[in-house]
Amino acid sequence: MDRMIKNAYSMLSPSLIWLLLFLVIPVIYIGVISFTTNTGFGGILYEFSTEAYTAAFSSLYAKVLWQSLGWSLLATVLCLVIAYPFAYYIAHAGKWKNLLLLLVMVPFWTNLLIRLYAWIILLNNHGVINNLLMKLGIISEPLSLMYSPFAVIIGLVYGFLPFMILPIYASIEQLDRSYLEASEDLGASPVKTFLYVTLPLTFPGILAGIIITFVPAVSVFVVTDLLTGGKLLMVGNVIKDAFLIEMNWQLGSALSILLMVLVLLSIVIFMKFTSGKDRKFLI
Amino acid sequence: METMVQLDNVSKKFDESYAVENVSLNIKSGEFLTLLGPSGCGKTTTLRMIAGFEKPTSGSIYINGKKMDNIEPYHREVNTVFQSYSLFPHMTVFDNIAFGLKMKKVKKEEIEERVNKVLKMVQLADFGKRKPKQLSGGQQQRVAIARAIVNNPSVLLLDEPLGALDLKLRKQMQLELKHLQQELNITFIYVTHDQEEALTMSDRIVVMNAGKIEQAGTPYEIYEKPQTRFVADFIGETNIIGGNVTEIKENYAALEFGSQEVYVPNNNYQTGEKMFISVRPEKIHLHTVQQEGKISLKGRVKEKVYIGSLVKWIIDVGNGNEVKVQQSASDVEDLALDTEVFVSWNPDNSVVLKQ
Repeated sequence: MDRMIKNAYSMLSPSLIWLLLFLVIPVIYIGVISFTTNTGFGGILYEFSTEAYTAAFSSLYAKVLWQSLGWSLLATVLCLVIAYPFAYYIAHAGKWKNLLLLLVMVPFWTNLLIRLYAWIILLNNHGVINNLLMKLGIISEPLSLMYSPFAVIIGLVYGFLPFMILPIYASIEQLDRSYLEASEDLGASPVKTFLYVTLPLTFPGILAGIIITFVPAVSVFVVTDLLTGGKLLMVGNVIKDAFLIEMNWQLGSALSILLMVLVLLSIVIFMKFTSGKDRKFLI
Repeated sequence: METMVQLDNVSKKFDESYAVENVSLNIKSGEFLTLLGPSGCGKTTTLRMIAGFEKPTSGSIYINGKKMDNIEPYHREVNTVFQSYSLFPHMTVFDNIAFGLKMKKVKKEEIEERVNKVLKMVQLADFGKRKPKQLSGGQQQRVAIARAIVNNPSVLLLDEPLGALDLKLRKQMQLELKHLQQELNITFIYVTHDQEEALTMSDRIVVMNAGKIEQAGTPYEIYEKPQTRFVADFIGETNIIGGNVTEIKENYAALEFGSQEVYVPNNNYQTGEKMFISVRPEKIHLHTVQQEGKISLKGRVKEKVYIGSLVKWIIDVGNGNEVKVQQSASDVEDLALDTEVFVSWNPDNSVVLKQ
């Protein structure tokens, strides 16, 4: 047994070293910086201070933080609503399955930044959508689709939808069809079978999808940068600006730590609420 | 007895080939009927059509007199015990069993009472709160049966339900299932490829091969009076002897078997006609001296297998022909290999087979 554990560690060591060097140490470093004193222009004085956190809790930054969480949450919910039927369809698409999966993954080959430019062309005042609607006579003046929370949500949903589709697809694909037959055999209509059997049994996929969509969505800054021209802010923008423009590393670090704590906390609460006994709400 | 399930000329085509072809069958209320055959013979497809998971390509199925053509599985008064059990892994044993009753909107108190009753019946009274994963294979099997019978189905469909259990447990469950069926008086339609299981449990066996019914009958009829070569060969061990009729003597037809002759009761056979007969190894006797009776074939001991209560012999009767003989161990002398022996049987114990 001891030998097995030893072997496991020796095989894991490359990834453990990687994680230690590029995740654990930087996070600890950020945590340390957040409590140092700012001497201006990126200066760090190793003297304990909570100044950065006081600033971070000021109404302006707090509002951006909540706003980011809210938008990402909404985007995650929308992704889930779109992704589940989509993944379900792919899982049952027979010979088209591989092609459809490939199409889901194609966007990964292009940077999100480039793909968001495409949305500028679609959304702006003289863009494809406005032009089309005006030509059809549905609207007389262009809608201001850009520079709005609407554009942010579109960007987030668009950018992170594949992250939701893939894990859900995997869990639906793995679902043993005989469970569904057993359910129908016991008198459950297709709708009830879906609610009582398919949904709970594919829940791990939903959970994974929610987490890997929500976490990157909440900290992304290119979406707001490009689709609102920096008019609307997510916490990612604020952190980036704190580090690169204001040169206030303490504030940037404090916001990063707060964001991390909030995201972890929401995941823990979410998992607590949805796993184990409490998942009975589905039945 | 009234008919519970009727299959009227049912066929099922997958792609271009028939999985089930023109099967007609009446299953009586309270009957334990087994569909028996090798894998791919169409027995499971037949069961799935009765459950409603597959739609017949042609023909109709009636349950309790009602035509099932457009009735979905969840509206049929049948329940299935699946080969892999298919217990819902996210529900407790209790919730698994209660599922069907919940779907029928039975009152909570009644659900509790009925579930606890079947749990007791399958001897799992204290296991209601466990998850299926925490049970052994045999216990999961019982839950699967409980989950089906709690709904008081008119017909219980069982798809190789004991296939995953070890031999000893399987034998025990065979008897328990049989008792359960007699106790509940539910019609059982049981699918298996295990002929011994079929013989042990069934009121009636339907032997299937290549999508068609070969023979339907009681276990006794199937074993003692197989009608086709397939049935004789598939059920138990047998000797199949094929040859031309050489002459008709009194009430018997003589059949050439290598350079020797065997006899079968005559039934308007013609000289020169080619026919096949089946003789079970346990109907055949072994002697060291020539016998007086009709049949006495000379041969040599080629192989001897001692299996405790029985001894199995393979006797080489010349011209490349072999006869399998089985006798209870206490009846036989110990014969060395290559000893000259004579095998004999009563011609009335042989069965003439349809091709």
